[in-house]
Amino acid sequence: MNNRPIYPFTAIVGQDAMKLALMLNVVNPGLSGVLIRGEKGTAKSTAVRALADILPDIQVFGDDPYQLDPDGEFGIYQEIRRTLRGESAPASPPETVLRKVRVVELPVGATEDRVVGTLDLEHALKKGEKRVEPGILAQAHRNILYVDEVNLLDDHVVDVLLDSAAMGVNTIEREGVSFSHPARFTLVGTMNPEEGELRPQLLDRFGLCVTIEGIRSAEDRVAIMERRAAFDLDAKDFAARWQAESATLADRLLTARALYPAVEADRPLLFEIARTCLEVGVDGHRGDIIMLKTAKTLAALDGRTEVAAADIHTAADLALPHRVRRQPLMAIADNVQTLRAGAAARLH
Amino acid sequence: MERAVYPLAAMVGQQQLRQGLLLAAVNPAMGGILLRGEKGTAKSTMVRALAALLPEIEVVRGCGNACSPQPNEDRCPECRRRFPALEAATQRTRLVELPLNATEDRVAGGINFPRSLRTGRAVFAPGLLARAHRGLLYVDEVNLLDDHIVDLILDAAASGENRIEREGISYRHPARFVLVGTMNPEEGELRPQLLDRFGLCLEIRGCDDPEQRVTLMERREFFDRDPAGFLAGYRQESDRLARQLDRARTLLAEVRVMARLRGFIGELCRENNVAGHRADLVMEQAARAFAALEGVTEVSIDHVRAVAPMVLLHRQRDAQPPPPPPQDEQRSDRQPEDTPSEEDREQRDESQPEETSAPQTQPPQDAPPQPSPPADRTESGENGESDDTSQQSEPELPQETQSPPTAGRDDQLFQIGSTFRVKPLSAAKDRMVRRGSGRRSRSRIAQKKGRYVKSCQRPGEDLALDATLRAAAPFQRQRAESGGGLAVRLREQDLRTKIREKRIGNLLLFVVDASGSMGARGRMAASKGAVMSLLLDAYQKRDRVAMVTFRRHGATVNLPPTSSVDLAGRLLAEMPVGGRTPLSAGLVKSHEQVRNYLIKNPTAQPIVIFITDGKSNVSLGEDKPVEESLRLADALARDRRLRTVVVDTEEAGVVTFGLARRLAGAMAAQYFKIDDLKAQSLVDIVRGQHP
Repeated sequence: MNNRPIYPFTAIVGQDAMKLALMLNVVNPGLSGVLIRGEKGTAKSTAVRALADILPDIQVFGDDPYQLDPDGEFGIYQEIRRTLRGESAPASPPETVLRKVRVVELPVGATEDRVVGTLDLEHALKKGEKRVEPGILAQAHRNILYVDEVNLLDDHVVDVLLDSAAMGVNTIEREGVSFSHPARFTLVGTMNPEEGELRPQLLDRFGLCVTIEGIRSAEDRVAIMERRAAFDLDAKDFAARWQAESATLADRLLTARALYPAVEADRPLLFEIARTCLEVGVDGHRGDIIMLKTAKTLAALDGRTEVAAADIHTAADLALPHRVRRQPLMAIADNVQTLRAGAAARLH
Repeated sequence: MERAVYPLAAMVGQQQLRQGLLLAAVNPAMGGILLRGEKGTAKSTMVRALAALLPEIEVVRGCGNACSPQPNEDRCPECRRRFPALEAATQRTRLVELPLNATEDRVAGGINFPRSLRTGRAVFAPGLLARAHRGLLYVDEVNLLDDHIVDLILDAAASGENRIEREGISYRHPARFVLVGTMNPEEGELRPQLLDRFGLCLEIRGCDDPEQRVTLMERREFFDRDPAGFLAGYRQESDRLARQLDRARTLLAEVRVMARLRGFIGELCRENNVAGHRADLVMEQAARAFAALEGVTEVSIDHVRAVAPMVLLHRQRDAQPPPPPPQDEQRSDRQPEDTPSEEDREQRDESQPEETSAPQTQPPQDAPPQPSPPADRTESGENGESDDTSQQSEPELPQETQSPPTAGRDDQLFQIGSTFRVKPLSAAKDRMVRRGSGRRSRSRIAQKKGRYVKSCQRPGEDLALDATLRAAAPFQRQRAESGGGLAVRLREQDLRTKIREKRIGNLLLFVVDASGSMGARGRMAASKGAVMSLLLDAYQKRDRVAMVTFRRHGATVNLPPTSSVDLAGRLLAEMPVGGRTPLSAGLVKSHEQVRNYLIKNPTAQPIVIFITDGKSNVSLGEDKPVEESLRLADALARDRRLRTVVVDTEEAGVVTFGLARRLAGAMAAQYFKIDDLKAQSLVDIVRGQHP
């Protein structure tokens, strides 16, 4: 069924900020997700799916709804088996399989039960045993969680979602059950700001934020149409034509992942980060920390082990717009650099 | 799933926060601590770090609730029954985090379903309060929890025990824990009663020193890269802190407070207008904890001074209005006699200890003083429109000179007046079941959230065990033959589901009079301020909002129902004023909006808020405008699904028409003057309820 190739990431025209933010998050999940703000039909979900497509496969246990990593999470696998089924846990790991990285979608109407997972009470009453239905967070472990229209979700659902994203653990606390499983995922949220804002507390928990709009240049719009038409005509052929570029990109992402731990940032650059955050007026310290991580990931993506001043500027644009302090009911900043210039002008 | 915890010793800055947490840990009797402040200021990190520092405790072996093996200590019934031998074991001090989605069962404890069925008697399943016994209970965003859950927690924290009397269980167990709550005041306040019950309160801000911020980033990076190495580097300092804490806890029992210091404490509380006596008691306990941390057994005046700000911050009356948007300058020419009192309050604020004036919660009253307007300036004349150039740096608020080109000669644009905290408005309770979230009106709810009020026979997943068992009980003997290995045999028809109740948001439809008469003498600025205040309240209660304005010859829908309160705020700022008053058109248009909304959301409970002086002077038909509008108002009131509120903008003076009051009467609406909307004093609230 799913043999149809996916539109290649490299063939997406424009939307560089979004593509960059997605790539950064794939290289370093520690950036805790990206929020894409913008209108409909701007290749948001295409980009996410395309990116997942070129990621290396992950290894999982054959029948495991929690997507645990055979390499390092077998202990948790045993523990889950023990608590849920009350059975003596298997001593040796079950068979593992290789699987593509999935894009798990959270539907708009998703209830908290569906997200977190729930206890099947009727089953418990009739049979006298616990049965936990794993939720979407379990599915998302080690994958990409794509939340469309995150601002339309119930507040408490977003809360649990971001809690898990930050802690890497999901806890089901309901009706006398308390049960945890790992949930580390790359979080991608989209929203159309016209339909209401996210609370600042929630906004702040997304590591990066990009605002996108439809492409204005006629030339690019034509390119989009042409490529789309070619893809619809013969998807296989189209994908094959972009194969080389996709492979290069996949390589680059993998190299960057490996390189990231070695990236260093000089102290003067750290001051630059701190000053930027202070001047623009950012609440708290999460902005600083994410900005530094983003800058380092940018360097890694570029194949360097030294953060450059330019990385800091790019990082500011990605990590700060949604963190700038503002009065309630005000629009969020769209350009960090102008803000900074404005702040500097006021000072002098 | 153990994770490395960033050590308290490696925290950068935030001395106060650190001090407060240590105090709370030394002396849980003072009722915990509330951290208010911006996001991303290491609140959670600090709390986790504190838990890691606490010494291991002795517990009864096997007891899940960490009961103490000391024979004279209170223990849970389960423990008394099963472990009379009091065998001791040690375990780490627990940190229990209360998730936002926790239900009442989960917090206070409920029935253990599977075991109850197998054994045939109600088995109690301890909740988070039991788990937190002798440990730390951390409630993030405590202002977003349902009030009844907060009540439960604070009750237990204050009394040191948790009592459950519901769903056929009657159970009590000790629950003494260090309570730490956090909140971001922008997201809505805690009720004052709840605020008061937190012992200490701290205002948290990020640090402004680049040097410190850099140190912080460096440490964080180091920690993320190599947690074990990082922890090892701070081992010595951490151990020192842990020892200090341990010593202080032992020493606490011996710390004495001299009688004359009690007098000083009382004096301090009185000076700060604190309600009730909890502040005095808490201050004494906190000062004792402080002395214990210092290693002395005698509380000194300095100890009291050190803890006083944390005790008084949230108990001073009038101290914490929500952060309102920028204030305008019209107000200053509206009521010059208003200004001194405003300044009084500011001065009082400033005379408080430093912590109370943290900028985050300061209203813009302490923005640089507005220049006093030239004496000849008026807002009412045609020429009043362009002289009010804004001093604010807000890009969002268009200045008056930028009136849209379509606006007529007599159109004016007023800035938003000062905002205030509004008193609660909510829809009446009914029997309708709804979905949704929010914090305004109580409603039956179709989700597994909220308080379990009763049960019913209705298919669903949210089973009520007590009711189900009662329903099944009479048939147990005749079903015994069918067996099944369970103590209780259930059939489909026994299943009962829970009916729950919680607060949800409403649709607030603002109907704003934008006619010329509203522009007189800065009244529009005050009205906009009132609408803005209501909007802020709507944001905090997660309402949907819509806006209709009427002026000249008709009414327009400026904003169809949306949850984007932001958008409403922006529209309000840009709303021009001028022309005649077609109140009837406004009434018709608003009813049309509400009716359409109700078709889509049959269970909704809209609240329609009219902001007008009621001086209708354009009619739809042949009737006199005022009579027509009153008739329409009466018709509107016949729709029982909506509630109406009239905010009268007419200024008190020698000649008043009282038309808005008549309008309210015709609609059976709640009636407020702008000033009555303010939730400030008890007197105001009483007056508001008996208009």
